[in-house]
Amino acid sequence: MNFHSVVPLSLEACTMSNMACASLKSYNGLHKIEMYPHFNKSSSSLLAQPIRVSRAHQRGGKCTITASTSVESKKILMMGGTRFIGVYLARLLTEAGHEVTLFTRGKAPITQQLADESDEDYKKFSSSVKHLQGDRQDFDGLKSKLSGSGFDVVYDINGREGAEVEPILDSLPDLQQYIFCSSAGVYLKSDLLPHFETDAGDPKSRHKGKLDTESLLDKKGVNWTSIRPVYIYGPLNYNPVEEWFFHRLKAGRPIPVPGSGLQITQLGHVKDLAVAFLKVLCNEKASRQVYNISGEKYVTFDGIARACAKAGGFPEPEIVHFNAKDFDFGKSKAFPLRDQHFFTSIEKAKKELDWEPEFGLVEGLTDSYNLDFGRGTFRKKPDYTADDMILEKLGKKVIVAA
Amino acid sequence: MALQARVAVAEHSSSSLYAGFIPSSTNHVRLSSSLGSLASSSSLIQGDTLRSLSNADIGYRIAGPKWGRRLGSPCPALSFPVKASASATSPKKVLIINTNSGGHAVIGFWLVKELQSRGHDVTILTVGDESSDKMKKTPFSRFSELRETGAKTVWGSPSDLSSAVGSASFDVVLDNNGKDLEAVKPVVDWAKANGVQQFLFVSSAGIYKTTDEPPHVEGDSVKASAGHVGVEEYIASLSFSCWASFRPQYMVGSGNNKDCEEWFFDRIVRDRPVPIPYPGVQVTNISHVKDLSSMITLAIENPDAANGITFNAVSDRGVTFNGLVKFCAAAAGKEAKIVYYDPKAVGVDAKKAFPFRNMHFYAEPRAAKEKLGWKSTTNLPEDLKERFQEYTAIGRDKKDIKFELDDKILAALQTA
Repeated sequence: MNFHSVVPLSLEACTMSNMACASLKSYNGLHKIEMYPHFNKSSSSLLAQPIRVSRAHQRGGKCTITASTSVESKKILMMGGTRFIGVYLARLLTEAGHEVTLFTRGKAPITQQLADESDEDYKKFSSSVKHLQGDRQDFDGLKSKLSGSGFDVVYDINGREGAEVEPILDSLPDLQQYIFCSSAGVYLKSDLLPHFETDAGDPKSRHKGKLDTESLLDKKGVNWTSIRPVYIYGPLNYNPVEEWFFHRLKAGRPIPVPGSGLQITQLGHVKDLAVAFLKVLCNEKASRQVYNISGEKYVTFDGIARACAKAGGFPEPEIVHFNAKDFDFGKSKAFPLRDQHFFTSIEKAKKELDWEPEFGLVEGLTDSYNLDFGRGTFRKKPDYTADDMILEKLGKKVIVAA
Repeated sequence: MALQARVAVAEHSSSSLYAGFIPSSTNHVRLSSSLGSLASSSSLIQGDTLRSLSNADIGYRIAGPKWGRRLGSPCPALSFPVKASASATSPKKVLIINTNSGGHAVIGFWLVKELQSRGHDVTILTVGDESSDKMKKTPFSRFSELRETGAKTVWGSPSDLSSAVGSASFDVVLDNNGKDLEAVKPVVDWAKANGVQQFLFVSSAGIYKTTDEPPHVEGDSVKASAGHVGVEEYIASLSFSCWASFRPQYMVGSGNNKDCEEWFFDRIVRDRPVPIPYPGVQVTNISHVKDLSSMITLAIENPDAANGITFNAVSDRGVTFNGLVKFCAAAAGKEAKIVYYDPKAVGVDAKKAFPFRNMHFYAEPRAAKEKLGWKSTTNLPEDLKERFQEYTAIGRDKKDIKFELDDKILAALQTA
């Protein structure tokens, strides 16, 4: 299975000057994260050793994530993990030799095979990952299920409110690390951007529960790390980000964008996010720290439409700008992204975690297209109600789906 | 074993006193008193351990792909950042070729003061004649402040530097004047011939190609036709011991030669509407000039770390036009009324009607942060308060100003 399905390169095929490029790109499976600095053969005394997270050949084997630290096998509890981020993260963790248990209600399949995953790899993964059935909103039930379970680390991927953390912490007094999936949605809107981790949070935002969770973790004295993604995209995305654009591009429909289309936001590939989550595991630097995790560059709304078109091999899209105030869309959403500038600096994570995004925007959207939408799979059927209202008002011909 | 290097860099602050340095002049640098949120102590600190250095990180050439994770051509002579400390960096003899007008003029003014305060020996050559009318404007009208620090102020032509500076020798030359090879080549050639170790060039972030994916980061495509690009390439080709290029955007700071925040203050204090090209969410980067001064100073004091690098010389925050109006209004203690217009629709040249490019024009200082451990101290809301104080102190709020283009815009909007 290629982590990086777009450009499958073999190391041998690369010239010296492309070596590092190749090494960064040729993921042979999610487990192999090769990050060696470029090495110049002519100055072998300065040869930098590859820094690998290798496939653990034995269960519970040591694995190296950084040159200087090694993380021994941990018993990991993942809250959620069956839908999107966890799908990739669980694979990284099991390949790194950790024992992963997914805590879910069991409504969705515990594992699913990825589009570019071999049957063999999938079998290995699905047989090694464990499941603990339960409803995390049932705090008492949760506590009794977790007491004495001996989990070393919790990855809380689907937590929303501070109260949800307490039963977990109470039942795991020897917990080594609580790693929380927060959101850049906690930041207070600002005229000065990007958002840095030190910026003020918005106690009134839709994501206040995430902010509360971070505060609670800090108060509780547990070793915690919080990750704040912006907009996540990639194969299996259940939030219609790229999918929203792909539907319209495929249908040959114009893309309605609110306002000027100059609003700047930031998309981050789920696989890069999963690697970041792996990097903070048992990482001293990450203790009690918050990290913005997203793409290297930002992008305008109009730019996303164009990037999705490139990714799917569609012609240049027709973008139609509309004034959201002129409409009442009711329950239908006219555009999948918040109508404002919304982007963060990822420099803290790059500096402290030795992490950086591997996917550029078009590259990453192509990965998503090739492994998901482009194969005919998507999560939400398109709803063109709002589109048609906009097109009608602007005097544009309303397209009837073929 | 991965290469690691520790770089000790001086954290810059508003104070003119740096550990280990005895200022060569008793006059302190009059830097902005407003400390940004990132203001630091004045003691020299050990920089963070840089992540494992690769040959790609070292001696990256602008002709190569994106700096950082992708490869540039490996530097033939491997060098890595040397440990620079107050005592290890010897005083440098610096020659600044300074423009006699425009937005970049103020950079030289601040840089001279900062370098002198840190024990360096600076000569600033302003292009043209000392008697020219251009010298009546700031910062030139305040050059006595530079002489008070011990710096030399001379006038002359870039194509005849020997006449202006005689037989003086310099370690560092900074060209803060030319926009194309015609203007800068004579300076570069003279520097090479006279044994200058480090050549620095103030370029422009305006050379970046427009993009769907802001911000402009070092390594992004530039407009091949831009004059500055030719200069950067020429300097790179000449194998100075060290060279670097700085790409600024807009600046605020005392002694500026070209209006920036004044444009907004002019309208706000007179209770005039502020015409902003629609939609007002365009993002730009307004830095306090001391950010540029500190960045260039760091490059001078850490030449190996800065070698072969193009730096975006900007603050680390973008600001929208709308946001800028808000901050200016707050600084002036007044409300501002924005009116949006489409320059084409109302028939005005946006370049003349508005002080900033009518588009996202937003670079980030990633190279300076990563290579030099540089930190931005711009705090726009606070900086603008200080700027407004000076604006009123010099009586500009009472000045009789004509708002012809504004009136044209407003008239067009009325009839629309």
